[in-house]
Amino acid sequence: MKAFKLENEPKISTGFKTPDAYFENFSTKVLEQISKKEVKVIPIYKRKKTIALLVAAVLMIGLLIPVISHYNTSSKEFDEAALETYLAYQTNINQYDLIKELDTKDIETLNKNVALEKETLEDILASNPNLENLISE
Amino acid sequence: MISLTNEKEFIAQLLNPKTQNIAFQKLVSDYQRPLYSHIRNIVLNHDDADDVLQNTFVKIFQYLKNFKGESKLFSWMYRIATNEALTFLNQKAKLSGITSEALQNKTIDNLKADAYFDGDDIQLKLQKAIVTLPEKQQLVFKMKYFEELKYEEIADILGTSVGALKASYHHAVKKIEIFVTSN
Repeated sequence: MKAFKLENEPKISTGFKTPDAYFENFSTKVLEQISKKEVKVIPIYKRKKTIALLVAAVLMIGLLIPVISHYNTSSKEFDEAALETYLAYQTNINQYDLIKELDTKDIETLNKNVALEKETLEDILASNPNLENLISE
Repeated sequence: MISLTNEKEFIAQLLNPKTQNIAFQKLVSDYQRPLYSHIRNIVLNHDDADDVLQNTFVKIFQYLKNFKGESKLFSWMYRIATNEALTFLNQKAKLSGITSEALQNKTIDNLKADAYFDGDDIQLKLQKAIVTLPEKQQLVFKMKYFEELKYEEIADILGTSVGALKASYHHAVKKIEIFVTSN
């Protein structure tokens, strides 16, 4: 059997035909289609935009959680600092009122936290104008 | 056909509402025959090719505003036509409950009685041989052999390198020759 070789054969066409005047009428047909067609398509980019916005919102919330958490933690510390300042400057509470509120456990705790050096104690006593009052009390 | 130098200007006319209709009529006039041939080579049947060609131009019209000019207008339109034709073929096969290859074979068997086919036995045998090739190889062969597109043009349309296309075409020719010889 003789082998078929495409390059040795004359060009083989498809054999496809079109109806008479097909191309002459085609552009009218397609322009009618275009004017009739109502396009109700959500462009892919809009869908993608919605998804992108949602992802961004989730990420923002995720990033804010540690910030809010940190704020809550530090606000407690802030409150303590604010409380100290308030007690020192804003109230009529004096040192005797404060001492009265301290119990034995509080005093022991204070004693542990306060490590006065001799030099510091001398400085305090030397700079205090009410030294005589302190000694007499 | 639109020359490369005028392509930017032509695209601007296609996008301008004042000149759009006339520009689009010119686009249809220039590309209806080559796009019809390209689509018909894929779907084989005239009525199907007519449907797909209309859908192709409707899509070209709709997507023109998104055309960035990164490729040639020609390549972009051919890509739309190729996708429309392949999607049509696959959907038709799915609806019929058969493979795309089986559908193509069925269509070729019906070509003999088709009013819009005047080919002989060798033309029918060549079509049967092409159907045995993988989808992309079929495209490469048809675009090179029947449509006589340059490898560079096919590369732009299919997004494949010229080297890969040449290899694909060579393999396609070998398989077709074996099929026709043994049938």
